[in-house]
Amino acid sequence: MSDIRCRELCKTFRQGEERITGLDRVSIDIDSGEFLCLSGPSGSGKTTLLNALGGLDRPDSGSITFGGRRIDCLPRGELADLRLREIGFVFQAYNLVPVLSARENIEFVMQVQGVPAAERHRRSLAILAEVGLEGLADRRPPAMSGGQQQRVAVARAIVSRPRLVLADEPTANLDSHSATRLMALFQTLNREHGVTFVMATHDPRVMAFAARRVSMEDGRIVADRVQEPCAPEPA
Amino acid sequence: MMRIATSLRLLPSLLTLAWRNLWRNHRRTLVMLSAIALGVWAMIFMTAMMRGMIDQMVQNGLATLPGHAQIHHPDFVRDPSVVNRFAEPGGELLAALEQPPVTAWAARLRVPAVVASEYASRGVTLLGVDPAAEAALGSLPGELVAGRALQGPADAGVVLGESLAQRLETAVGRRVVLMSQDPDNDVADRGARVVGIYRGRLEGDEERFAYTGRDSLQALLGVEGEVTEAAMNGPDYRRVVAWLPDIRRAAGASLSVQPWQTLNPFLASMLGLQDGYALVFMLVVFLVLSFGLVNTLVMAVFERTRELGLIQALGMRPGLILLLILMESLWLLLLGLALGNALALATLWPLRDGLDLSAVAAGLEMMAMGTTLYPLLELSDMAMASAVVVGLGLLASLLPAWRASRLAPVVALARD
Amino acid sequence: MNLTWRLAWRNLWRHRRRTWLTVSAMVVCNVLLIFLIGLQLGSYDVMIEGSLGPVTGHLQVQREGFQEDQRIRDSVPAATALARTLRRALPEAEVGVRGTAFALASSEARSFGIQLQGVEAAREPGVSTLPGMLAEGRYLRGEGEEIVVGRLLARNLQARPGDEVVLLGSGRDGSMAAAVARLVGVVDSGVAELDRALAQVDLAWFQSVFAMGDHAHALVLRLPHLEAVPAAKARVQTLLPPDSELVVLDWDQLQPGLRQAIRTDMVSAWFLYGVLVLLVAFSVLNTQLMSVLERTREFGVMLALGLGPGRLARLVAMETALLGGLGLVLGILFGTVLTLALARWGFTYPGMEEVAQQFNLPARLYPRPGAAALLVGPGVVFVGALLAALYPALRLYRLQPVAAMRAV
Repeated sequence: MSDIRCRELCKTFRQGEERITGLDRVSIDIDSGEFLCLSGPSGSGKTTLLNALGGLDRPDSGSITFGGRRIDCLPRGELADLRLREIGFVFQAYNLVPVLSARENIEFVMQVQGVPAAERHRRSLAILAEVGLEGLADRRPPAMSGGQQQRVAVARAIVSRPRLVLADEPTANLDSHSATRLMALFQTLNREHGVTFVMATHDPRVMAFAARRVSMEDGRIVADRVQEPCAPEPA
Repeated sequence: MMRIATSLRLLPSLLTLAWRNLWRNHRRTLVMLSAIALGVWAMIFMTAMMRGMIDQMVQNGLATLPGHAQIHHPDFVRDPSVVNRFAEPGGELLAALEQPPVTAWAARLRVPAVVASEYASRGVTLLGVDPAAEAALGSLPGELVAGRALQGPADAGVVLGESLAQRLETAVGRRVVLMSQDPDNDVADRGARVVGIYRGRLEGDEERFAYTGRDSLQALLGVEGEVTEAAMNGPDYRRVVAWLPDIRRAAGASLSVQPWQTLNPFLASMLGLQDGYALVFMLVVFLVLSFGLVNTLVMAVFERTRELGLIQALGMRPGLILLLILMESLWLLLLGLALGNALALATLWPLRDGLDLSAVAAGLEMMAMGTTLYPLLELSDMAMASAVVVGLGLLASLLPAWRASRLAPVVALARD
Repeated sequence: MNLTWRLAWRNLWRHRRRTWLTVSAMVVCNVLLIFLIGLQLGSYDVMIEGSLGPVTGHLQVQREGFQEDQRIRDSVPAATALARTLRRALPEAEVGVRGTAFALASSEARSFGIQLQGVEAAREPGVSTLPGMLAEGRYLRGEGEEIVVGRLLARNLQARPGDEVVLLGSGRDGSMAAAVARLVGVVDSGVAELDRALAQVDLAWFQSVFAMGDHAHALVLRLPHLEAVPAAKARVQTLLPPDSELVVLDWDQLQPGLRQAIRTDMVSAWFLYGVLVLLVAFSVLNTQLMSVLERTREFGVMLALGLGPGRLARLVAMETALLGGLGLVLGILFGTVLTLALARWGFTYPGMEEVAQQFNLPARLYPRPGAAALLVGPGVVFVGALLAALYPALRLYRLQPVAAMRAV
């Protein structure tokens, strides 16, 4: 059974006088543990779909089921709880709260979840080691490179073992080396912890890592195919 | 319930986050901090000055009235004549007057009289007093400029005010004639030597009050052992009602016991008006201050729209975001309060020995005040200023905080 | 409108909420200032007139020294004739002649020392408000042997209209002065000191009882308004007979406390106004500082395009002027409406009555609408706003184009 089921999602936006189609009757099933990439040009509806999956935005019509539960019409507070416990986010930039250090950024989410302090501390250091940032726990974001910031964001997204990580153009501001390292990290997490990854991108380096590639255009899914992901490069 | 528990649990880290956020734009924070500190300082400083003014007005009023409460024959207030007299306190009443909370008391003969010199005569209120008891009560004029004070209840000399002596063209050692009505409405008079000249707290008092020994005045009017007024003080003039009923009971139904508020409703209403005025003053200052506060928060929220979207995406409930902004406002208010209070203390400290206002002495006399203003800093005023600033400040911050919590995460995230 | 002004105006509305908040702060402050200043000036007028009305008048001619010592022999000779001269010379002024003496007033039951005034019954209503404050009976008719007393004095004497009052004092020549008058009226001025000690009789009768001849103690002048006092004083000065030891005293000399009480009150009022203006200035400073800081990149581009920092500073000054102007116009608009409404319907607050009475004020206050009350406050706020924008504007001179363009 699929973990995420979207049926007939529609969403339109207004921009000035124009009406823009964000999603046009999109239906998609995503299984638990998938490593999926949404591709397509700007304005094709990737981000809109991602936001709808994460409960950041409501579709105008259609339904989204997450683990058997309808989430498209939950109140704001419950959506927040859902994101807090089940979904991790990685954005393309400005991912971190600038006044909190790397470790505090990670612990912040756990604290809202109610994880005890000692446990928080242990887990945040462990996850920073896992993403390769052992020495930078007390750095604040402005003192880190873009790649380091993104890895902190990933660490924060996965630290509480969400079922789903949504990433919107995670490599957009990264050089090629950092981008490859980040994707390798995603792949490892996906394989070792069974976390579902859904990424929106038009970066071919990201697409190459995905096991399933969904192409979108004008708010519609135009192609959906399974492919052989490339293996992580030796670090 | 769960959510409140969550909020409480997160409060320390929200406070940390809010504190750091506050200093992201240190210039703006410093400007706003100065504004709050200035406002708080003004509230406390001004209230202390006004309190000092009113307090002095009341104290002066009580010193001439005098006393926190007075006992009279029931008809005396309507008809201030020696006809309405009573026996000097004894028995149960004396016992009540001699013990706490009464700190001092004096019985006196207070009658309308005429003082005549060889050149002129004037109407006065003649007080036949026991100088020792009156001194304990603090009701004798403060400063003798010539001659001596009365030496006891039997002293037959008279002490006059400086400006009255000037108008009568008399001086220490000269004789004047005291005239007053005895209980049978006959004019009783006798010569008396001016033994002292005093300077009153207020010039008006100098012309109105003349003092002589109680026993000698009783003898003149033929009312030995009787007085028209007994005055008493308690520990605090604001809390007379607390002990007055005991005195009333001891005095019995044949005497009327009245607190100063009844005897001088003007002073009482001044005191009441003062509390209201201090609050209005604080609210006016706060009103103007609040726009700057809300503006600062609106700007802070605006700059951080993206970030607020981010933490919503991370799963922070809108209620927590509201709390986060309120905490930021709370920091600002608390810091401003601390600064403002410190500034108020620092500026009031040098004035503790009084502010010389002799340049406007006559104007102050119109308001029954002396020429030196002693600011009166009351904890309750500092508390009131703090409560107004924090309470209403948080209330005003609710608007930007609420708006921040209602930001749609997608829209917020889309902003650069 | 010139392009720079248009640019400044549009820049103002890039942050609508912030601009409105800042303008609102100014408007609220302006309305408060207009209201408070108007109320203050209005109550000073009432306070002065209320204090001078019953006894003092605007000007008095007295023998030198009488004001301080009130001695019966320091009198004005040929007072009625001098009053005629004054009336001819100053047709707009009301002139009344008064004699003053101490007397012991006795009713059947009680005696009290009082301040007895001999007044011209027909003239007195022109120079004093007392005759209009009758609580009982009628005022003097100039027929002699009649007396009008204050309410508290009447109560203390236990006397009612129709009763006889015996007056005992000493005349100007030191002789014994004794007379009996019929109580015809009781006045209630609301001022306890007056009501307790004041009594009036007819001047001619007073002069005969106290052996005054044609002497009196004061010529009281009442003018149409306070502003006329200095000119009238100078005019009266020239009309006094030379070497007569007579002096003209204006109300400030007669009641020195009054102007000082007002001055004391003004100090605390100006303190409040100063604080309000400063608070608004801080608000403007914050807004303009933010608006400059957040446009650092934009200003960098403009510098790179060749605009001098002076031009940019002027732009910021213009924005502030527009911001302040908006606050000024709206503030004056709302303030005027409020003041006009209150000038019509008056204003009071609980507890004011007793205090008002002490200063002889009516319990309802009416702000005085006038250019001063309307413009001073908002004008100072406007200038304060411009000064507050000085710091943000001067910061522009330190801007380096390349660094500025890189700023976020």
